[in-house]
Amino acid sequence: MLKEYLAISMFFIVALLIPVAVIFISRLVAPKKTTPEKEEVYECGVDTVGDTWIRFKTSYFLYALVFVVFDVETVFLYPWAVQFQQLGTFAFVEMFIFIAILVVGFWYAWKEGALEWK
Amino acid sequence: MNFSLLSSEMLAAGLGTGLLILGLIAPKTENRRGFGYITAFGLLAVLVATFFQYGINQSTFHELWIVDDYSVFMKQVFIVAAILVVLSAVDFVETLPRFRGEFFALIVYALLGMMVMASANDLITIYVGLELMTITFFVLVAYQLGDGRSSEAGIKYLILGSVSSAVLLYGMSILYGLTGTTTIPEMLTKLTWSPILVVAIVMLIGGFGFKISLVPFHMWSPDIYEGAPTPITAFLAVASKAAGFAVMVRVFLLGLPLEGAVDWMLLISLLAGITMVIGNVVAIPQTNIKRMLAYSSVAQAGYMIAGLMSMDAPGVKGILFYSMIYVVANVGAFTVATLVRRALDTDTIADYAGLGQRQPLLASTLTICLLSLAGIPPLSGFVGKFYIFQAVMDKGILWPAFVGFVMSMISVYYYLNVALYMWRDDPKDDRPVPVPGPAKLVIVLSLVVTVVLGVYPGPLGELATMAAKSLF
Repeated sequence: MLKEYLAISMFFIVALLIPVAVIFISRLVAPKKTTPEKEEVYECGVDTVGDTWIRFKTSYFLYALVFVVFDVETVFLYPWAVQFQQLGTFAFVEMFIFIAILVVGFWYAWKEGALEWK
Repeated sequence: MNFSLLSSEMLAAGLGTGLLILGLIAPKTENRRGFGYITAFGLLAVLVATFFQYGINQSTFHELWIVDDYSVFMKQVFIVAAILVVLSAVDFVETLPRFRGEFFALIVYALLGMMVMASANDLITIYVGLELMTITFFVLVAYQLGDGRSSEAGIKYLILGSVSSAVLLYGMSILYGLTGTTTIPEMLTKLTWSPILVVAIVMLIGGFGFKISLVPFHMWSPDIYEGAPTPITAFLAVASKAAGFAVMVRVFLLGLPLEGAVDWMLLISLLAGITMVIGNVVAIPQTNIKRMLAYSSVAQAGYMIAGLMSMDAPGVKGILFYSMIYVVANVGAFTVATLVRRALDTDTIADYAGLGQRQPLLASTLTICLLSLAGIPPLSGFVGKFYIFQAVMDKGILWPAFVGFVMSMISVYYYLNVALYMWRDDPKDDRPVPVPGPAKLVIVLSLVVTVVLGVYPGPLGELATMAAKSLF
């Protein structure tokens, strides 16, 4: 029993050593010539403005939640649609109950103003 | 597939969704008192429906779902807790700034999660129920908008609850890796000793221990109990904890073998002993009633988990009986705290001075409920503790009973301390402490039930015995 775990622990040690070695060797070998361009957060693209520690509107979060509702719905709808012919009436009714529950959630989110950007 | 086994859960889900839709249809200007009564009556209907599920003892959906007398009894514990909490919250909800109707819908959804946990016969189903309950509680704990402490409690519970869920899930995934199954009875036959099983069991105890606030996983409870709206604190302290016990008993007794595998009983009994001692000792210096009740509930978890040590039907019966009376006594105490908080805007124990003159009903209920939690005969708490420790002593394990007895004596000190303030001192001012109708019902019920079950525990005890026997 313990021998099997020995192999795993060897694997762990090697896995830990490799990234350490890589970082260390590249430190040694790499030439260090810095220019202001290289010091930028992104070498190409739009220049960054201001601090990253700012407040985000909670509306983003609400959008994400509403998105998840539909995302999960799709996850279940695809396999259901593919196997629709074999599943029969029972699955049809079942899926409509599922969608009805999601619609209630969506209705609630809409009515409470989750989709309005205030 | 036998859908009738899901009937009480379907009713609860329908009730919750119905409340949500009702909240959408009803005009915003209307007050939401009616919602509380609808919820209470709906839950009463679900409670009646569960009585028809006794004696079924069947599983369905490839053993994912089981309805045995044990799960039905546990569900009734949760539903009774939810009904009492909803009634005690009817007037509290009026003080909330927004989202009054949803408050009741969320309580019903949390209840639904607990019911799923009680009937789950499979690790994934347990986890789904657990998350439904926990995520709903994140929202409920932070419900008092504009109150910084409530938000703080919500965020703390979110972070700590997520960590504990992750630990639990990791433990479950290791169990699945070892056995290739997530069904609890199947695990029992497939587990053998291995070092990784130790890790899995420690993680399971950590994850469930968080839910039932077992020392050393209890650190969250005082802060969150203090910050959360008081009715939610009551629900969190009784129903969420009972749900944790429901799952823990099933997973450990039916899923994890003792012989030839890891001796998890050693760890559990150790933690039970520590929990009884620490919960009671730390409760002594508390000056806030909600923090005091939080530590007392930590100690109660220690008493209850001690029932697991007997590993047989009488022990489980003790746990079941104790959870029911614990629900009633604790909800009674928290309802008094809600009313005092509303009238006097304080949770400090010293401010309960003279409650006996101001509102004798509240003071006597609080006294009786606290004495029952301390286990003074002839109140029901004594009977519950008696059942638990008798079952353990019958197995020849004496030390939990000794620890429990000494710690109960210590707990009398801090429980009676509250009574002393209420009955000895004079009130600081003459502001009235009003007791609205629904809350009065809860208070009278908890007072009567606590006393009656202490004198006449027979029927509930028989029901608990029947429920416990269905596990073995």
